[in-house]
Amino acid sequence: MSWGAFLLRRAVALALTLAALSTLVFWATELLPGDAVSAVAGPSATEAERAAVRAELGLDRDVLTRYLEWLGGALRGDLGTGYTGARPVAELIADRLPHSLLLAGLALLVTVPVSLLLGLLAGGRAGRRADRAVSAGVLLVAGLPEFVLATVLLWLLAAEAGLFPRVSLVPLGGGPLATPEILVLPVLTLAASGVAVGTRLVRAAAAEVAAAPWVEAARLRGVSGARLAARHVLPGALAPAVQAFGLVTGALVGGAIVVETVFGYPGIGLELQQAVAHRDIPLVQGIALVLCACTLVAVLLADVAARALDPRRGSRP
Amino acid sequence: MEPLTRRTLLRTGLLTAATAVAGTALLTGCGSNDRAQAPAAGGTPRRGGTLRAAFAGAGAGETLNHFVGGTALDMVRARALHATLGDLDPTAPDGVRYGVLEAIEVDAELRAYTLRLRRGLTFGDGSALTVRDVLWSLSSPADDPASLPVYKNPASTFDFAGARVEDDHTLVLPTLAPVADGRLLLCQGNYLVVKENSDFSPNVATSGPFRLVEFAPGEGCLLERNEEFSHQEPADAPYLDGLELRSLPDSEARAGALTGGQVDFAHDLSPVTARTLREDARFTVTSTEPPYVSGLFFRMNLAHEPFQDNRVRTAFKLAADRQAMVDSVFFGDATVGNDLLSPGFPDYAAQIEQRAFDPDQARRLLREAGADGMRVTLTTGPETPGMVEVATLYVENLVAVGVDARLEELPAGQLFADYPAYARLPLAASYSVPTPALPLYQMSYGGQNPAALGWDRPDVDELVATARGTSGAESAEAGLAAQRVLWEEGNTIAPVFKPFTTAHVPGVAGVADDLFAQFPGFSRATLS
Repeated sequence: MSWGAFLLRRAVALALTLAALSTLVFWATELLPGDAVSAVAGPSATEAERAAVRAELGLDRDVLTRYLEWLGGALRGDLGTGYTGARPVAELIADRLPHSLLLAGLALLVTVPVSLLLGLLAGGRAGRRADRAVSAGVLLVAGLPEFVLATVLLWLLAAEAGLFPRVSLVPLGGGPLATPEILVLPVLTLAASGVAVGTRLVRAAAAEVAAAPWVEAARLRGVSGARLAARHVLPGALAPAVQAFGLVTGALVGGAIVVETVFGYPGIGLELQQAVAHRDIPLVQGIALVLCACTLVAVLLADVAARALDPRRGSRP
Repeated sequence: MEPLTRRTLLRTGLLTAATAVAGTALLTGCGSNDRAQAPAAGGTPRRGGTLRAAFAGAGAGETLNHFVGGTALDMVRARALHATLGDLDPTAPDGVRYGVLEAIEVDAELRAYTLRLRRGLTFGDGSALTVRDVLWSLSSPADDPASLPVYKNPASTFDFAGARVEDDHTLVLPTLAPVADGRLLLCQGNYLVVKENSDFSPNVATSGPFRLVEFAPGEGCLLERNEEFSHQEPADAPYLDGLELRSLPDSEARAGALTGGQVDFAHDLSPVTARTLREDARFTVTSTEPPYVSGLFFRMNLAHEPFQDNRVRTAFKLAADRQAMVDSVFFGDATVGNDLLSPGFPDYAAQIEQRAFDPDQARRLLREAGADGMRVTLTTGPETPGMVEVATLYVENLVAVGVDARLEELPAGQLFADYPAYARLPLAASYSVPTPALPLYQMSYGGQNPAALGWDRPDVDELVATARGTSGAESAEAGLAAQRVLWEEGNTIAPVFKPFTTAHVPGVAGVADDLFAQFPGFSRATLS
């Protein structure tokens, strides 16, 4: 298949998946208990006042009409207006998303090399002591919820050692990079989870490649250690590993909800948590859709990279 | 992240709970407690410095329009930017300390309030602050469905359409019915003067003790001293050069920012966090006193059997071990409630005897009403610190008197999310914000208000109207009679009033002088 056909197919699949997810997002939020009228009108509102608010918010129209309107708006980049503060949802997301992408990006910068290193180490020595040690370690970290990891890091590195701030307060008038120390603990938390998942996936791919005949042949030629891993195992394991990192990236963006809340980092995850608490349905829908899109784009990019890196691609028809 | 699902909601709830528990472990400890926050130390208060304070905000949706923004941060920011009409002050002659107003005069029939504005007040752009701005600030929220109920409240007492602007400094507000407590209503600290027809953009001229320098929704704002702000005593206040208000939704994060030296002042701490910080000599913990306290209460739905029987309602009140709730949940830093809201306000019926904890009598009453063994579910949620814990203890109290009681805890944000559904619950938890007793009754209890869960007593409504519409002994008697009925026959169990607890570094002083204690102001604060 040519690159053009491949990309077109993937782009269509992404669009269809996103359309399906948008439907799911809209209807899931519709099924949530409670409604925005109560959040806006307050507990003492009379039925007439509630009706006025319902009309004001456009909630007096049938759900299908509202869905089609929301979908049409989303296609034009208009995700509606948040109930809290009456700001356009797209603008609210544009404020917060870069903060979260920065966290996820930095976490990925840590995750990829560490996962590759540990995954190759374990996969290249499948069943041996190094593999058992690495696998047990990553299994332990993978089993810890992110908020536990975050709390442990807070305790060790902020409360006890005093190395980093406890709360990720972004300086007013400046971005997070103006005070990079606020990023360390959230990035470490996300990266620890990412490394745990990434290492296991790379390990599986590396173990399969390490058992391949050409690696065995190299071994018989006396190649071993880092050279064997870098020259013979890594090229074969890279394509599936890159695909794995696509999934890890999606998980990193999702993990931001927990990590940003624990550290008070003003990203899209903390925003979603607050939007749920305030029953700001348009904002919940918008953020959920954007996070789905981020994950799908990460997976698509990983697929493209995997195809480019696949050593067998040249021999395919 | 995944699309929003019930799992996400549960996860958020679990996270909040876990963070609350784990966060406490991160606070180090040994301590000091200071219930009455000291004013600026004797002598000339120190001028200068930028105080950093953390409050709960609403994320990127935060707005400079405090009429629609209901968080603590919105209120504190608004009070820093806009001058107030006045604050409640039991020591002052009218029971209020005036802000931009010089006085409020009431006519003999209690049908017209004349608001007199101080001379020479200006906004930041040099334009004069007039009573037209006052009128707009009081009346415009009523026309906006999105405005918070508290800002619509004056429209239920005053006839703004009939208001008369006599000159730039004199405004006459007719009342819809005779009202004696209009001063208390207007000078609660939350009615602020905004420039007429303001769009609440960052460039709008303001008249408060500070001016906006930077506003980052969801992150915070930076303010600088307004040198033109001179109408309050002491005349040389505000003392701070600047004020940095940070938005942190989580109580543990606010405490963490304080203990980590990232802020100087943290607002609204959970009871556990407050106790931990009290043991830390590096910080001063302050709890508000009545009337600036929040009631945690349960309401029995009169549409459900057997709550129509007053013996059952009384049994449910007698079953509550109030002192145990104060001791266990708030470590003693709370006030026992007497099933009436608004303790500490002048119109609160403090002379009514304190309800006893009498489980034996409760059992007897339930038996007499044929309700022993009745099944009921108490629905609550973590809407404010301590709410779930108090409900948990209350369910145990009910079980102890023979009620088959269960607790349903909803995730954060869900309890009031569908208010019609909430109003159908048989036994529901809620909380109150500090508001005078009689206006609060009219706002949220009388006139078949949905929030009252079936309470429909025109005779009590009439007593409250009389109390508010008269003065002196007649008003006091009617107010007492109304609250006596509520105490004896009402459907509210109000066992605990919790303070708003804040913590700060020792160099901060003078915050309490701002009076509006539940949402502290900094117009008289100093930092050393």
